[in-house]
Amino acid sequence: MNVGKILLVAGLALLPAVFVGQILNPAKLGQPPTDTWPTYNGDYSGRRYSPLTQINPSSIHSLALAWMYRTQVGPQRGEPFPEIKSTPLEVNGILYFTIPDHVWAVNARTGEKLWQYDWVDHGGHLIGNRGVGMYGNWLYFLGPDGWFISLNAKDGKERWKVHVADAALQYFTTMAPLVVKNHIIVGVGGDAMDVPGYLEARDPETGALQWRWNTEPRPGEPGAETWPDKGAMEHGGGMTWLPGTYDPELNLLYWGTGNPNPVYAGQGRKGSNLWTCSIVALNPDTGKLVWYFQASPHDTHDWDNVETPVLFDGVFHGQQRKMLAQAARNGYFFVLDRTNGKDLISVPYVGANWAKGVDAKGQPIPNVAKEPKTDGALLNINAGGGTNWFPPSYDPDFGLFYVNAIDGYSLAYLTDTDAKPEGYGGSGRTLWAHSVLEAIDYQTGQIRWCHDFPARGSARSGILSTAGRLLFSGDPSGNLIAWNPGSGDILWHFHLPAAVSNGPMTYELDGNQYLVVGAGDTLYAFQLLH
Amino acid sequence: MFEQNCAFCHGAKATGAEGPDLLRSSIVLHDQKGELLGPFVRKGRPDKGMPAFAALTDAQLYDIAEFLHQRVEDVANRGLYQVQNVVTGNAQAGKAFFDSHCTRCHSATGDLAHVASKFDPADLQAQFLYPSRSAGFFRGGESTGPSEMATVTLPSGETINGRLKYMDDFTISIYDSSGEYHSWPRNEVKVQIKDPLAGHRELLKTYTDADMHNLLAYLVTLK
Repeated sequence: MNVGKILLVAGLALLPAVFVGQILNPAKLGQPPTDTWPTYNGDYSGRRYSPLTQINPSSIHSLALAWMYRTQVGPQRGEPFPEIKSTPLEVNGILYFTIPDHVWAVNARTGEKLWQYDWVDHGGHLIGNRGVGMYGNWLYFLGPDGWFISLNAKDGKERWKVHVADAALQYFTTMAPLVVKNHIIVGVGGDAMDVPGYLEARDPETGALQWRWNTEPRPGEPGAETWPDKGAMEHGGGMTWLPGTYDPELNLLYWGTGNPNPVYAGQGRKGSNLWTCSIVALNPDTGKLVWYFQASPHDTHDWDNVETPVLFDGVFHGQQRKMLAQAARNGYFFVLDRTNGKDLISVPYVGANWAKGVDAKGQPIPNVAKEPKTDGALLNINAGGGTNWFPPSYDPDFGLFYVNAIDGYSLAYLTDTDAKPEGYGGSGRTLWAHSVLEAIDYQTGQIRWCHDFPARGSARSGILSTAGRLLFSGDPSGNLIAWNPGSGDILWHFHLPAAVSNGPMTYELDGNQYLVVGAGDTLYAFQLLH
Repeated sequence: MFEQNCAFCHGAKATGAEGPDLLRSSIVLHDQKGELLGPFVRKGRPDKGMPAFAALTDAQLYDIAEFLHQRVEDVANRGLYQVQNVVTGNAQAGKAFFDSHCTRCHSATGDLAHVASKFDPADLQAQFLYPSRSAGFFRGGESTGPSEMATVTLPSGETINGRLKYMDDFTISIYDSSGEYHSWPRNEVKVQIKDPLAGHRELLKTYTDADMHNLLAYLVTLK
């Protein structure tokens, strides 16, 4: 039984009668995405795998631009060229997508605008916004300055807003809220002033706090032994800035946590610094920690471990398993048993000389010699890490995990040598970086095929796989490309004026399969020519 | 003002001593121009051992607030961070490394003469590890950096050489030696790229951190 079927069954079981007639039927949240793409990742699994097949290797040569929608908001504070980093939701023929401070609803068949919501922020970074969450008739959006805002999906009118993070303390908020049952899960970001991370569940009707899980333990709690003192723990970072995933059958919420603070200067926080740079499994009803796996113990390289924890079932070395896979920013590909967090695979997919290898639990062991130094430490990974926020994909038809990876070299500097450093405390400087698309075998961690992009620069595009035996992503120079997922052969491409800047998504309406990508400030929709 | 009145308890950098770290203070972080901090400092927190500074004028309190906001900016804005001394290696060992690894393409008295006067040490470190294509590390500081050169073989067998302008999986374009622009679909031509930085990428795989520090210590002598 594949995870899609499990999610479908569990989703239907949870369907309350009151939702009949509402815009988004909540059962859709647990189903493989076909006529609806109701969450950031399309479904709860994070696989970004669509069961649609109309666009396939035989038909793709008639795939053509159907419409485009240009956001036209112009330069934003600190961002001269705002990009669509959100993955649109598609519900009942309407697409809902964002850039920082703005939400749009457009007709999914034509690109016609229905409404636009504009938020006037008072602070926060406008580096990106990942999109909205949806529950029944309501949308959920985060302003950059810590405001959690609910909109009526029908007309974009604000229902209410509540403050979930304090921008004056240098928190900022960018993630797409994740809807799990009657919980709206909200995470936060902010590395500049050593504030503690947390994840919250909010009430869908009022925004009231249901629970808060703190990324750091409090003194006396389990995990406190991995920090030197209360002060380090209270200022330890560990942000929760990308949407996690959910297994309805196990009723576990999976989330990645960010780097500890101060980011590059670890001398004031000796210890492994739980639960930063970890994958955690939480009970979505209580926010209680069920298990954790720490991808970068005592991180000093800004290895936010927030990349999507992708859920799938399959055979691992002869045994049927419920798994979780992540291509981590620290350069390691991890496969865990998602029932208990036990490590199955920990293998670097790019250079990872910051680590000396892995321990008995499969967790990388940091190499002290490669920690940031005042005169620089040379790393065989670029300063932004092996990958970053752009979503990966898992294709169950091929058993391959796909990631837009970045090879490179960088220098890691320590700039704050104080016994009690503050802020970032150092910096990373990329020397050379080069984009590759990797297809990783989850049973071995070996790279089955790798597409080396000839263009300079980094591909920061998400990935979509489909049952139509296609893999979609972007290259650094603006090509939207379709590959054969098994061989890595290129089957189709279309040159856009900017590189694909979000995760491609797809849906079927009136018997037509659409493929939608954001590139720069514009959304592009493709369908087959008739 | 801060030094005279506050540093004794809160430290010269305001990061805390006997008194709390002010850069992590909610009052400081919420204050804009002394409107929160001023009344607080005038009143003090006698219960926690902080005396009242009732005699401070508005202007003095404003100066203290400005100092603290600058300190927060210094810490929070990583664009302002300064890399410290990076010249820690052994210049003699660096010269030996240079002579054995770099002289096939470079000369300390030719293209790299005076290179240390063109870059500060931290930039020089990054530049020798992997030169920026626009920073003028090569050829005595010309404005154009090392370009990738392409040899394109057409279906007829004719070859055209030039400076690579653009290449993706589908298209290549070059400027030939006369400055003429050419472009072809990749699947109709054969392309060979010669990249002057290829040697730098190979060296990146082999440097120890000691090699890197030694080589920098040598290169900074090329004033």
